[in-house]
Amino acid sequence: MNPIATLLDPRTKRRLTIGAGVLVVLALAYRFLYPVVFNAYVGKTNAPLTYESSQTLTEAEFEALAQSLSEEARRLKAESVVAEDQDPFARQVKVEMLMNTESFIRDTQPSHIKYFREAGIRQYEGPKTCLTCHATIEVDHPDGTRSTVDTLDDLVNSVHFKFQSSAGGFSTYGYDGRQVNAGPHKIPVGKIDRACGIPGSFTWTGWAALVASRPEHVEEGEVVLRSEGCGQCHIGGNYQPATEKMMPVGDVPSMAKEGIDCLICHARDYDMNQRVVIRDEYGLRWDQDRSLRAALTVGPISSETCLRCHQHNMGGDVYEHNAAAQALGYKHQRLLHRGAKRGNPFSPEDDAHAAAGIQCTDCHRPEGHKIPRGRMGVDLVANDLPDKEVSCETCHTQAPHNNSRDKALLNGHIARLACETCHIPRLEDNNVVLRDWVHPTWDAEEGIWEPTDVYRSGEPGKGFTYLWFNGNGTFLANALGNNPNGADTYDPLMQQIARIDDPEIIAAVRAKAIELKAQYPDIDVERYVQMATDPLSQLSPEMLERRRAMIQANLRAAMNDGESRIYPFKLFNAMMYEDMSNQGPFGAMILPFDYTTYYETGDTQAAVKRAIQDPIVQRMYQEPFKLYMMDEFMAYFGVSGGWKTIYPLVDGQLVNVEPHWMRQMGTLMVNHGIQRQGHDCADCHAPNGLMDFELLGYTPERIAELQDPELLRQPPVNETMANAETPAPSVP
Amino acid sequence: MSALYLYPRWLRAWHWINALLFLVLMYTGASMHFGEGGWLMPFDLAVTVHNTAGILLTLGWIGFVVGNLTTENGRHYRIHLSGFVDRLIVQGRYYAQGIFRNEPHPFHVSVGMKFNTLQQLSYLGVMFGLMPLLILSGWAFLFSVSLPETLLGLPSVWLVAMAHLTLAYLLVLFLLVHMYIITTGETVTTNLRAMITGWHREDDPSSGQTEEAKS
Amino acid sequence: MNDQVISAGTGGWLALGLLLLSVLPGAMPQAEAAIQGRLGTDNADCLRCHRMETLGYRDPRTGDLVDLHVDGRQFGHSAHGELQCIDCHEGDFGQYPHPESVLGQQLDCVGCHQELHKADKRAYTFKTIEQEFALSIHAVSDSPKAEGFDCHRCHDPHAFRNSEVGQPIAEIVRAGNQLCLSCHKKIRDPHSTAHLWLPKRDKHWQSVRCLDCHTPLTDPGQPVSHQILAAKDSNFDCVSCHSKEARLLGRLYQYRSETDLAGGGWLSKAVFNEAYVVGMSRSPLLDALGLGVIGLTLLVLIAHGWGRYRAYRRLREDRS
Repeated sequence: MNPIATLLDPRTKRRLTIGAGVLVVLALAYRFLYPVVFNAYVGKTNAPLTYESSQTLTEAEFEALAQSLSEEARRLKAESVVAEDQDPFARQVKVEMLMNTESFIRDTQPSHIKYFREAGIRQYEGPKTCLTCHATIEVDHPDGTRSTVDTLDDLVNSVHFKFQSSAGGFSTYGYDGRQVNAGPHKIPVGKIDRACGIPGSFTWTGWAALVASRPEHVEEGEVVLRSEGCGQCHIGGNYQPATEKMMPVGDVPSMAKEGIDCLICHARDYDMNQRVVIRDEYGLRWDQDRSLRAALTVGPISSETCLRCHQHNMGGDVYEHNAAAQALGYKHQRLLHRGAKRGNPFSPEDDAHAAAGIQCTDCHRPEGHKIPRGRMGVDLVANDLPDKEVSCETCHTQAPHNNSRDKALLNGHIARLACETCHIPRLEDNNVVLRDWVHPTWDAEEGIWEPTDVYRSGEPGKGFTYLWFNGNGTFLANALGNNPNGADTYDPLMQQIARIDDPEIIAAVRAKAIELKAQYPDIDVERYVQMATDPLSQLSPEMLERRRAMIQANLRAAMNDGESRIYPFKLFNAMMYEDMSNQGPFGAMILPFDYTTYYETGDTQAAVKRAIQDPIVQRMYQEPFKLYMMDEFMAYFGVSGGWKTIYPLVDGQLVNVEPHWMRQMGTLMVNHGIQRQGHDCADCHAPNGLMDFELLGYTPERIAELQDPELLRQPPVNETMANAETPAPSVP
Repeated sequence: MSALYLYPRWLRAWHWINALLFLVLMYTGASMHFGEGGWLMPFDLAVTVHNTAGILLTLGWIGFVVGNLTTENGRHYRIHLSGFVDRLIVQGRYYAQGIFRNEPHPFHVSVGMKFNTLQQLSYLGVMFGLMPLLILSGWAFLFSVSLPETLLGLPSVWLVAMAHLTLAYLLVLFLLVHMYIITTGETVTTNLRAMITGWHREDDPSSGQTEEAKS
Repeated sequence: MNDQVISAGTGGWLALGLLLLSVLPGAMPQAEAAIQGRLGTDNADCLRCHRMETLGYRDPRTGDLVDLHVDGRQFGHSAHGELQCIDCHEGDFGQYPHPESVLGQQLDCVGCHQELHKADKRAYTFKTIEQEFALSIHAVSDSPKAEGFDCHRCHDPHAFRNSEVGQPIAEIVRAGNQLCLSCHKKIRDPHSTAHLWLPKRDKHWQSVRCLDCHTPLTDPGQPVSHQILAAKDSNFDCVSCHSKEARLLGRLYQYRSETDLAGGGWLSKAVFNEAYVVGMSRSPLLDALGLGVIGLTLLVLIAHGWGRYRAYRRLREDRS
């Protein structure tokens, strides 16, 4: 039979039809059934999205808006050009003249006014509008090549959208010694599913919350609704984070992609007051500015646009130059987090680079929507471009000091010290080091219960410390590295970051504990102080022994890897409720809080119970999730025997749940807030200097050399005069 | 049909290994000599392979000599002087004339002597003349730094190179002739088969193939 | 700078310093100690600072990095490893900051090496080097880059040591060429047209020193000349290496030694022999002869085979 005849054979025909039918059914099921089933499984919502600020303008309104935006832009530019030191009226006249100059108008006009006018766009409808023209973008790669990518795809697969990665490229090592996702079994990890004591919740349980606060200035019985949750910054979705991206198949449904907030990054004039939680028939989600006004101001990315979100984790929410914190919302104002995550602001006031007009993307050079974080990642944060370098040396070279007589000596330090070590002399005072989520404090002004920041400090040695770092980190964000002498005496996981010895800090913690005892009589002050400052005291002797052995056997290789230098690291620990069925020598699975319950009632246990009833946490305690990722997650976590699916809530009671501090402090890299004037030599090179050279693994002889007071003595005047080369002082 | 077991297993093994090494050495040798390009092997690799094959060839040759000293096979290489020149002329005349006139082979293979005189002479020359010289010059290359700067007023490495090259050409020549001459047995493939199976078979004159064989 | 302002002490400078301090928010308190003082003059004292790998600064005139790092271990292994720093660096280096007067000294190798009477006894003396260098393109070039060219441009006195007999040739080649390429950077540029005439350019760079072609021939057993030739004067003749003279063997391969071969693993040394140069066996006459004879033989064999075939056909015809 020839092939055609075979095909025409009725039996074959039938088989082919069945085969094709099965394929069609599978495709349809994947397209329509899978998202429904998936959403039902994880208990999350996707729904069509509407935004109040997305209004259609009439022709006249559009032109009026265009006129006002154009004027605004011209005025701003003209004011920056015309000198300030003159008669105010003279200046005003000059500004106005300049504003109406032909070339000035041409060069300053927001470009999208023309585009929108010509394309007839009179309403901003989210990504749909942007994609009309920007369906694809050109991406420049460092090797000089150029590629064209689908804009939406590029964004949806970027960390800014999904904040997770199932691929390799993590510089993080599990406590079992394996590099995260370097093996065949890759699991989705990143901020989306990483428990953390700074926000106190997970992305799913803390995505969007409306908190009924009772501030002291409103009348008794009245409440003010406030917005809170991870979604205020993370653009990945509206009712939930990009959960679908955790699976090897399937994508975020297109209606969720409609919720992508292009303008928060791309518009020069974005109204942060629109960024609040709203409630609709499907649940709570984050609103955004979809006004045509904002859309018309689209222009190049600048530090200002990035800092709308990122100042939160640098300077902090209550940092005085945090612009976004000045626009908390017309209603449902966002809650400000008081203790700063890092306390190293990027702003012209407090950072040399920002002051010089350097933009974020000058160092974090994007490739399309992928933005590099740098190769040194101490914490488990997904990184779009893990191999792309973001470093001081890229611009400053290895000999950055040109202005000092001691320039050669200062440059000499670079082989062992990161620039940040000297040039971030201190963090913001409100940098939080110890945060107690279990014993909240009533904030009368805001009218909510807040986690108690037991200790805050921006001082070197207190709010942050100095550690060897080679770019590797642990699963719970501990910097890895070692003294280049290769000694085993440097052991931060048993020493620096596992205990606080500073008597001042201990005293401060004790004072806070006594204060808390007034509210929580059960507190045993001494035990409280001990747990907070010596978290290893929470481990049984066997656990402690295992910890020691694991550090030695599993982490030494990652510590001795590559070249280590001393970096500053912000320290952080939190007391949270932990699921003790899943505990190991480095900590146990921490449980999230429900923000609404927590802030409104201060009943921490109720807040945990509420949060862990979230469907996705329940799924976490089931077999499929265990096999899909939790076993692997726990192995990295240093917990042996796999994930125990013993759900910690039985009959409304928490079972085997205990409040604990994590067994060591997390160490977060600080790289911004760079000061031109760094630490002075004597800050470190003196007995009792900033650096504990002994804990940094130096030998006693070397320490004596490093702290030799002879070198740093104040020279006699005559000697100096004899040696001084023509002293030509310049203003630093 | 007569069948003689003339080629014991070790001999056949040596022969084919030697043949393979010959081919490898020729190919890599040409690669080194003419430089890279076309179908030639990359220079670096060729050097290594050539050196290795050369060392193996040396070992093989030693094995061959030892084998012929210790087994009966050696007798085939012993020259019988009586009538030597006559046999040589007869054999030469056959190849030059007789073979074209379909004359019968002047020599018949026997257990006592498997080579005709011409064959014997050329094998002796190759195995105990050219081969040792080739091997020696090859080793001289390997240890060229130990050689004196000059030899007889000429650069010694150059002398070695020229000797090695000349010998190599001669042996390529030998290989060509050898491959042709083995087709002049009873049939075109008689000798080849013998070296594969060990048995030298001459077919019965009455069988079908004999006509061809007799030719 | 602040340190200096304050420590400059008396009178006007102090006043100016205080003035500056008063206008600088967050400037250091006046009592801050400065790095200043006497050190010893042992090598260990010097290395206390100079072992810092990134010790250096950018020359304000050129913008180039001036590397002040001395690798103690490398120095110990270098030709000068047994010297004291102050043997060459004369002057009051025992204090920091080093006095201006002692900085920027030109150290003269030949001057020092000439004094050593042993040097004269060698066939190849520093005097010879000096004479050769005087003719070198590095010495005679008008290029501003070659201005003030001294020994140290190529021979880092803190690291340099002669290549040794027994060192792998590839390593000698790499190290030697690295020296040249550290200045002649453009050669490495993939779009560079230099050496394009050379067949197998990259191969040559891997296995031949720049010096082998860019210096005039020296007597057997003598080191390579210090008279570096300009590109146009250099060797363009393939045959000077790929020939019976085996010039390369005489120069580069002197570093191979018998002891090296005899000592452990001579077999592998033999197999991975580096001494063969392409074309060393090339002899047009022999090639022509060899290939000619082989070709003729092939013709004869073909003719012979054809004759046999004809005979066979005849026999068949006779039978039928």
